Amino acid sequence: MRRDTLKGYLFISPWLAGFLLLVAVPFIDSIYLSFTHYDVISPPRWIGAANYKRLVMEDPFFWKSLAVTLKYAMIAVPLGMVFGVGLALLLNLNIRGIRFYRTVFYLPSIIPLVATCAVFTWMLNPQMGLMNSLLRLAGVEGPAWLTSQPWAFYSLVLMSLWTVGGSMIIYLAGLKDVPASLYEAAVVDGAGPWQRTIHITLPMLTPVIFFNLVMDIINAFKYFTQAYIMTEGGPEESTTFYALYLFHRSWRYLDMGYASAMAWILFLIIVAITAMLFTTHKRWVHYGR
Amino acid sequence: MLAAGTMALLLFAWMLTIPPLRRYPDREPIHFWHMWTGEWKVIVDDICTAFNESQDTYEVIPLSIPRQVADSKFLLAVAGGAPPDCMAQWNQVLPQFAESRLIMPLDEIMAPDELLAFQRQTYPIARQIADYQGRPYCVPLALDVRACYYRLDHLRKAGLLPASAPRKVATQEEAATIAALLPQSLEELTEWGSALHIYDKEGRMVRLGFLPERLRMFASVFGGGLYDRNQGRLTLNTPQNLRALSYLGDYRNAVGYDRVQRFASALAGDDGPELPFITGKISIMIDGQWRIPQMQRFAPDIPYATAPIPPPRDGGRPLAGWVHGNFMIIPVGAKNPAGAWAFIKFWTGRDDPARAADFYVRAGWLPPSPQVANTAHYRDFVREHPQFQPFIDTLSSPNIEASPPVPFQILLFDLLKRMEGSVMRGSTSPAEALEKLEQEVGEVERRRRELVHEE
Amino acid sequence: MRSRSPLALSRRQRAATHIVLLLMCLPFLMPILWMVTTSLKSNAEIFPQTDEAAITFSLDRIFPDQPQWQNYKEALETGPFVLYLRNSLMLCALNVFGAVASSALVAYGFARMRFPGKDLLFFILIATMALPRHVTMIPVFVIFKALGWYGSLLPLIVPAFLGHPFYIFLLRQFFQTIPTDLCEAGTIDGASELRIFTQIMLPLAKPALATCALFQFLTTWNDYFGPLVYINDPAYYTVAYGLQQFMGNHGSEWAQLMAVATLFTLPIIVLFFCAQKVFIQGVATTGAKG
Repeated sequence: MRRDTLKGYLFISPWLAGFLLLVAVPFIDSIYLSFTHYDVISPPRWIGAANYKRLVMEDPFFWKSLAVTLKYAMIAVPLGMVFGVGLALLLNLNIRGIRFYRTVFYLPSIIPLVATCAVFTWMLNPQMGLMNSLLRLAGVEGPAWLTSQPWAFYSLVLMSLWTVGGSMIIYLAGLKDVPASLYEAAVVDGAGPWQRTIHITLPMLTPVIFFNLVMDIINAFKYFTQAYIMTEGGPEESTTFYALYLFHRSWRYLDMGYASAMAWILFLIIVAITAMLFTTHKRWVHYGR
Repeated sequence: MLAAGTMALLLFAWMLTIPPLRRYPDREPIHFWHMWTGEWKVIVDDICTAFNESQDTYEVIPLSIPRQVADSKFLLAVAGGAPPDCMAQWNQVLPQFAESRLIMPLDEIMAPDELLAFQRQTYPIARQIADYQGRPYCVPLALDVRACYYRLDHLRKAGLLPASAPRKVATQEEAATIAALLPQSLEELTEWGSALHIYDKEGRMVRLGFLPERLRMFASVFGGGLYDRNQGRLTLNTPQNLRALSYLGDYRNAVGYDRVQRFASALAGDDGPELPFITGKISIMIDGQWRIPQMQRFAPDIPYATAPIPPPRDGGRPLAGWVHGNFMIIPVGAKNPAGAWAFIKFWTGRDDPARAADFYVRAGWLPPSPQVANTAHYRDFVREHPQFQPFIDTLSSPNIEASPPVPFQILLFDLLKRMEGSVMRGSTSPAEALEKLEQEVGEVERRRRELVHEE
Repeated sequence: MRSRSPLALSRRQRAATHIVLLLMCLPFLMPILWMVTTSLKSNAEIFPQTDEAAITFSLDRIFPDQPQWQNYKEALETGPFVLYLRNSLMLCALNVFGAVASSALVAYGFARMRFPGKDLLFFILIATMALPRHVTMIPVFVIFKALGWYGSLLPLIVPAFLGHPFYIFLLRQFFQTIPTDLCEAGTIDGASELRIFTQIMLPLAKPALATCALFQFLTTWNDYFGPLVYINDPAYYTVAYGLQQFMGNHGSEWAQLMAVATLFTLPIIVLFFCAQKVFIQGVATTGAKG
């Protein structure tokens, strides 16, 4: 038994070392900073829970940015999962040219994010972009996508769907792990394609679905770069995501204590959701053993 | 095994082929960070080379940082105890950096006579930019003044200039003749601008006549301003500022917010040969003096004139507007502040204005000190480019305004931008918007006072 | 003729699937095509003519009349891109190797070993992804500086060798689905845990490892902030830095910007097609274990 313990810790030792060296101290430090006023340079000054109190009681932007982020998580995450699983199921079929299709749907997700942002800004340009020039062909004058409400927000959602290939490929790898014998047995039992999907494929896919769900939620709550590059939080704060507001507070207004408090509120929200998923996951995630 | 060997070999080659950073390894290094790129970076690199060749104690090592992350890198480096020796900046950061003791007050480095010279031989506006609570925290390298640029060919075609007017501005006489024909009041300029808009048959904008923007630019034109330096406080919600903001909002609404937004998105660029003023997409623009060398380089044949923003007929002030610039700061903890100071003196021509004038002429920069502006070289330059004169006239005007020296300057400018956005969109009335802005700023100030009080 | 598997689709189903997939390909490919064609156009083809305000789509305007290769030349001349490319590739190689090797090891530990505190540690591992890095940047910087690593490449390489939570989580999910009897057979043969890991588990997890490798390559390829923060010598900067510099300057010169974006994307596409065998086909081969 003790040998096992030692072996286990040896296996995870790279991460443990990294955690102790580079993660633990900054984490504890930021908890402390969230109870201080800290402008990055002068020594932090203890102010108790004032940052938290002000965030919750007096800061309309806190609530606004949290609402924008929640809205994004509630729209983009389920859409992305449905699309991802659906695509993976289609691309798991045994038809000619499947490799070509897989490549096409995966390609967008390996385009570097900065390049993707540039391409979408260009595609969504109201006067010259592909989107509006196509709409004009149909006689419709499209909106100024990235600079008007509510289009800016949905443009970002659209962009997230374009890169759904990243999770699609993980679902696909998961599908490949489903033993063919299970299907064959099901066919013998007279199950149609739909029933096979519901009763075999999806349950066998749950470990990857669980993984993608947890990661998508974490990433949605930390959504930052695209909004920072493409909309700068506008128009009228409709794309001021929580992490963007946090970035402004920390590195733009040098209000690092306040930003640390924001970070820990976000941390607690994410951890609460993740913990909920982890405690319930044994009920719906089937590890094939 | 083979892969690992190849990788090790490649790595080794990688380490070996990195060129040495130092040209003069035995001199004291001055690490200098800046945000210039492209053609500007070339000029800055030349200034550094000239400095390195002018003496044999120091070597300045320039580093260009993408401007989106320049502040983060600088802050991390200072907070982490590894700052550069000096940095050229133009963001709204000076009061904040000074307040947080991130940068040194420069009177600590200047010798008494140098401080005196700085106070006496610097334009008042440049001293305002440098000043935080009575001490200089930076040395302005170049000032940025904005004025109106007019496309003479557009004006002529629209019938706004008489047939007898000079076709171009090449001499000071021609400049004077044209100046008398240009709008003398903001109301007149507004009419000209409206007459110059061109729309296509669907009502979309093809050419923008003129578009006034930014309260910080127009507050002082209307006799207002964002900050009262005598009383040391912000003056946001004043009748003059309200007039300025209403003017901007009315103008924008008359042209159509969405229409301008779409028009702007279809412009090919905002710099170099793609400047909309050069491509003929804009007839009258408010822009900085650095466009003059660009006009000469990219569009030498386009006739244009410059003039200060004309004041409104009543209550306005001539030669007004917002003036900013780029400036050099020395972070606390810099290892070689003396070297940084020597470099700054070299750049701004404190010791030899004539030599510095060469750089200012080449870049089309407005020098922070009249000493450089009065050198023969610089005066020749202005004579050859009469368009420069309005900018130099504006520099010594008492009506121009620098950014408010409040420690939350970036936040203030963000709040201003947001407030202007909602007025331009028409979602808030100017009066409401100013009221709300004052409340928000009051809240920020109240919180700062509380924090100081607790100390 | 192959014998028809009971899972095979009928001809009509097949045709319908093709139509659905082909239709869906369009929106996925269009932006990429648009990026490449724009990068070869002249300004006259991109911008509306002087007398019009907007562009209406027409098929003959998709492709450039004359490919403007000088857009690429001009873009490349804005910086020492060969140097940047080499730096990027070196950093990518080290990071990919480090991240995949260490993450696989840790993931195996979490998936297959039994030790006290495992569940808690694993939850902590997931939780470390939940704190935005903006608030931990300063202490991390201070740690690297205290280690004497500031100004060197170590802060850009060493962390990769310490495992990345995202890959650990992903690989753990995969290791857990591999039937235990495969490993038990190994244990009975007296193979050590490390041998089971390298000889049984790793080959089975190839597609997942390839996914991690590609993700890490992308992350390192995209990262300009890391090199910028820790190194002050432009000779070590990467392609992402060059792109960032370019975008700050030429934000609306669409042709050149798309040329740079294409160039920035190209190495990844090449890599993807080289690794495709492991990747998309490899996904298929492991599946045949049923």
